[in-house]
Amino acid sequence: MNPYCSSRRHFLRAHTFGLGGLALSCLLGRDGLLAAPVKPLLEPVQFDLKPKATPYPPRARAMISMLMIGGPSQMDLFDPKPQLTRYDGQPFPGEIQYDNAAEASSKVLGSPWKFEPRGQCGMELSELVPQLSSVADEITLIRSMKTGVNNHGQSLYALNTGRITAGRPSLGSWLGYGLGCEAQNLPAYVALTSPHGMPLLIGENWTSGWLPGVYQGTVVRPTEPRILNLDPPAHLRGEAQANQLALLRELNREHQEQHPGELELQARIASYELAAQMQTAAREAFDLSSEPEHIRKLYGLDRDPTRDYGTRCLIARRLVERGVRFVQILNQGQSWDHHGAIITELPARCAETDQPSAALVKDLKQRGLLDSTVVHWGGEMGRLPVLQNDAGRAKCGRDHNTHGFSQWVAGGGFRAGYVHGETDEWGHRAIKDIVHHYDWHATLLRCFGLDHHHLAYKRNGTELTLTDQQDARVIQELLA
Amino acid sequence: MTLPFRFLLRFFRTGGGLGLTVLIGSLPANAAASTNLNFEVHIRPILKAHCFHCHGESENPKAGLDLRLRRFMSPHQTEADGAVLVSGEPDRSALLTVIRDGKMPKGGKGPTPAEVERIAEWIRQGAPTLRPEPESLPRGFYLTEEDRAFWSFQPIRKTSPPSDREPNPIDAWVALGHDTAGLQFAPAADRRTLIRRVSLDLLGLPPTPEEVEAFVGDPAPDAYERLVDRYLARPQYGERWGRHWLDIAGYADSNGFVEADSVRAQSWRYRDYVIRAFNTDQPWNEFIIEQLAGDELASAHHADTQSALADSRRREALIATGFLRQIPDGTGDGPPDPNLARNQVMAETLKVVSSAFLGLTVGCAQCHDHRYDPISQADYFRLRALFEPALNWKEWRAPSERQYSLYSAEERSRAEAIEAEARTLDTAADQLNKELLDQVFEKQLAQLPEELRETVRVARNTEPDKRTPEQKELFKKYPSADVRYSLDLYDPEGNKKVTAKRAEANQIRSTKPPEGFVMALTEVADRVPETVRHHRGDHDQPREAVRPDELEVLAPLGSLEIAIASARSGKSTSGRRLAYAQWLTSGRHPLVARVLVNRFWQHHFGQGLVRTSGDFGHLGEAPTHPELLDWLAADFMEHGWTLKRLQRLIVTSRTYRQSSVHDAAEQRDPDHRWLARFPLRRLEAETLRDSLLAASGDLNLFPAGPPIPVARHGSGRIVVGEEKLNANGEPVDVGSVSGAEMRRSVYVQVRRSRPLTVLETFDLPVLSPNCERRALTTVAPQSLLLMNDAFLVEQGRHLARRLEFETGGLDLSRAVPRAWEILYATQPSDSDLARCQDFYNRQLQIFRQNRPPDSTSSAESEALASLCQVLLSSNRFLYLE
Repeated sequence: MNPYCSSRRHFLRAHTFGLGGLALSCLLGRDGLLAAPVKPLLEPVQFDLKPKATPYPPRARAMISMLMIGGPSQMDLFDPKPQLTRYDGQPFPGEIQYDNAAEASSKVLGSPWKFEPRGQCGMELSELVPQLSSVADEITLIRSMKTGVNNHGQSLYALNTGRITAGRPSLGSWLGYGLGCEAQNLPAYVALTSPHGMPLLIGENWTSGWLPGVYQGTVVRPTEPRILNLDPPAHLRGEAQANQLALLRELNREHQEQHPGELELQARIASYELAAQMQTAAREAFDLSSEPEHIRKLYGLDRDPTRDYGTRCLIARRLVERGVRFVQILNQGQSWDHHGAIITELPARCAETDQPSAALVKDLKQRGLLDSTVVHWGGEMGRLPVLQNDAGRAKCGRDHNTHGFSQWVAGGGFRAGYVHGETDEWGHRAIKDIVHHYDWHATLLRCFGLDHHHLAYKRNGTELTLTDQQDARVIQELLA
Repeated sequence: MTLPFRFLLRFFRTGGGLGLTVLIGSLPANAAASTNLNFEVHIRPILKAHCFHCHGESENPKAGLDLRLRRFMSPHQTEADGAVLVSGEPDRSALLTVIRDGKMPKGGKGPTPAEVERIAEWIRQGAPTLRPEPESLPRGFYLTEEDRAFWSFQPIRKTSPPSDREPNPIDAWVALGHDTAGLQFAPAADRRTLIRRVSLDLLGLPPTPEEVEAFVGDPAPDAYERLVDRYLARPQYGERWGRHWLDIAGYADSNGFVEADSVRAQSWRYRDYVIRAFNTDQPWNEFIIEQLAGDELASAHHADTQSALADSRRREALIATGFLRQIPDGTGDGPPDPNLARNQVMAETLKVVSSAFLGLTVGCAQCHDHRYDPISQADYFRLRALFEPALNWKEWRAPSERQYSLYSAEERSRAEAIEAEARTLDTAADQLNKELLDQVFEKQLAQLPEELRETVRVARNTEPDKRTPEQKELFKKYPSADVRYSLDLYDPEGNKKVTAKRAEANQIRSTKPPEGFVMALTEVADRVPETVRHHRGDHDQPREAVRPDELEVLAPLGSLEIAIASARSGKSTSGRRLAYAQWLTSGRHPLVARVLVNRFWQHHFGQGLVRTSGDFGHLGEAPTHPELLDWLAADFMEHGWTLKRLQRLIVTSRTYRQSSVHDAAEQRDPDHRWLARFPLRRLEAETLRDSLLAASGDLNLFPAGPPIPVARHGSGRIVVGEEKLNANGEPVDVGSVSGAEMRRSVYVQVRRSRPLTVLETFDLPVLSPNCERRALTTVAPQSLLLMNDAFLVEQGRHLARRLEFETGGLDLSRAVPRAWEILYATQPSDSDLARCQDFYNRQLQIFRQNRPPDSTSSAESEALASLCQVLLSSNRFLYLE
């Protein structure tokens, strides 16, 4: 069903949209009265972020996605492979596609890190993620992710937008489009970028593609000003801008009285009110000074390696608490892309994210928000079982692998303490219960009460979806 | 229940003039019980949408079941569910039960409960047909009488206006609609409102106060008509209206498709061609032919296009084919799957062409017969065959190979001499690169066991595709010994020397005379590839060959054959696009003129007479004023397909000139279906930015030429300016473009991945591939931009400066009225004046205590600037009424 016809009230307010026929067909369609196919969305229409009803009862109402761009090494973090240890240093027997030919090697690299069963569920995790291990019973670990395209950009497009090409809307935009936002004084979709730099693909990560701009992610910058144009220029701060808004309101009110019934003019007046509210609400949401010491400590705000990432995780929790639908936390560049020096680099990245990401799970849980919030941690690829750059232990790394990699997810209706899927004995290719990026998307949408066939946007007369005619299925085993 | 019922009534009223099919197709199901149902009208469309794909239109119907005719159903038994159709007994008919029980269709959406109920009722009524069915059907797709009877496929018919009550025929039909709906025209808009409306509409700029005063004071009875003529003659008209067409073409200055989104440096020649065509009022039949087949018109093919460019008329026609070069095209950017990327360009081309001229969504038929419209997959590939000689995916030419130089012979020989010099240096660099790689290889070799070295050497010097399995195995074991390229990874120092030599070569190259190019669509002489249908739209599953043709429902199959033959005669191109363009503009095509005039109407009134301006098919809406639509289309063609004449008729109509305020219309017709007032609407992105520049007096009207660059700003915004990059290719600063910042938005670079923030915030469309109709949003980020963005603050200051200058100093009693004239084409009321004075005083207090650090102006000027910013952000300025 078309998400714009979610409520009668919404429709009744909507007659400025100039959509008599559409609105009628939706109303009748809802009641099963109309036999014709649902009419296409007429454009131009007004797109908004008012909360929308869903075809299925939703389990999740918000999502925090910690994107680990570059490709965290699954066989060193999540997917133990004793076979690699056994064959460490020996030639790999199978076919391998390398990205970097000059440093390519056929030598198997056993994980230098130890795995142990964790929690009640006994999920095996590496010593590099001790904090995650402490919440093993809360998470779902997927060991059989696959995009199958051996390139950062394309694989990231696949995970963010459903297809390997540029220009399509990202997952967060689809959620905003299908569900609206519970907070009306904050953006529906927030992207938190790293103080160390922009992520690979920059704005393509939070683009609304051909969905209307209202569904685009709002970038919250790592430093002030956190939202573009959120704050007035210095000389207009405070009373000066308040005076401006007051005058504007008077002028607009008077103008609107000359055009009785033009709801569009009312909406514009309201959007100024919202902007003004957002200035306060967003600033309040980003202000961590009210957080007690034990919470700041939980996220690692008291220590150097975790401070930046912990700050963003804590902001993410505050946003979700305040009704934001989708928060994306991004790393700089492709900082998990460990072609070399994996022995020092991988622990360094883990030291930044392990505690804050586990803190997010714990904190949401203790606030009773985990059930309704999907927490996701994962990158666009994993790594190869063989080493790259055979120049000694300190220098070697692992090359790209999108044929089998891991990610974890918690809350929002996912099955806690559960491991899904398998890679082959080398950790190279997913072989059992494979989760393609489109299956992942279909499953996520279902958690939100949406259906990947039905959540569609009409464009040039074609119904477009996130999964875009790929053979996506909702993976029931992943759900509680 | 009362509410839907009221809407239902309105719905039926609007359906008044439509064809039977449309109306019945939308009948509520509870009405079905009392209606006599038949297969052709009521049931077939449901089955076509949900079942035909497997049971009728595929090569081998699943389970041998073909649902295209009623007569195929009743004798058929399914394996598990009994008879397909038992007349009068829905519960024993598998046709109903498998759908009702969710067994069918497999995957995707099934029919709605109401549709299922309709099928049941039809079976209950004895499953009748409207007329006797044929004994058999050819395999696959066929057109029914109902398909052919659809309103938009009927010939365009010009009927006389319904009365002579209104002198303008447009008003006569609109008045007829008013009668039906119990409405009347709103009073005429006053002259100030009217001039602002028509100026923003025709020029995309507000009128100057002088124009307003001249018009208001003009006693001549034809003052408005003369004003319209003056506006239509201004060069800014083409910039405004050309932009509308550029949306349809999907005009962009970058290639899109992949992340690189590489720049199309020469695209602007097509943009300028479009603006010229609008300004010179080029007849649309010529305009269409040039854009679809300018190369054939100029008798040019790939190899001789260069020389054809020397002739100015042929050059113009070749530039026009840039229409077909606007599609996102990643084929030159190393796409992951080149064949997919090429076929994608072809698919997008068909989308643009069909949406531009047919108003139909043929895209769905790439993979299977269209589910709602009578467009078969064969139709789709016949249409594709028209374009395949120019876009031959098996002998593809990347974007760079579709550019044709504008060099003169003398410039060319000078450039060639310089190139030869540079090439010498390149050769030296290649030589050095090879030597260094050889040295690296020797070092790698030295690390291997001695007995292997000679074998590895031989293997390395063998081209990879000529290696023996043993040699391949060798490199699988020692991959880093296969040193053939990527010197930078092995020997960075040596690589620097190679790079330096190459840089020197490029330095020499940069002294060549600047070379302009034309992006054109051409065919290779006498090379006409066979077009085949792709099973499921997959280019790796070729099926039978098809002939180029129009969609079958629009013209009998084979009707283009003769035209193609005659378009080809004496030429070395296929003649296909030329013949097609001539057919589209023949005056006999049922859709082209309707689609065009509907779109023109939409730009004037905010919505078309057919409100789904991109879909004239079954899922679209029927026209609110069908006779008017046809009259306009016919009149447009009869008068030489000229747009300005038609627009003069539209904007001088009573319908256009009425006020936007009309209580009765607002109450009874909130959707503006009946045009009983002028619909108020927000300025589009470009018009808004241009109006801001015009108001502050900064607007630079310099026309045409290469686009003004956009740059990523440190604040995260995309701004106008020269992007300065550091060694890592990251943007660090934005350089000035010396006044070009203030040029009209149509001249700002359209980089698909970097839309100008101020435009994007106000709904600039993403062009992938094109945009038929823009969305309009009202969201907080727009307000934040108007409140806080440096651009708005600056425009406020510039307007303040202009007011001070034009009113001779800072006197609010003169500045405020002047601002009202500039921004709103009117005078402020006393209360407006008082409010502004009061606001000014309060701001002055603040700025006196707290001078803005980034402004050199006085507190007084800053207070006025702050007032100006408010006025620029006000609804009175942002909306056209």
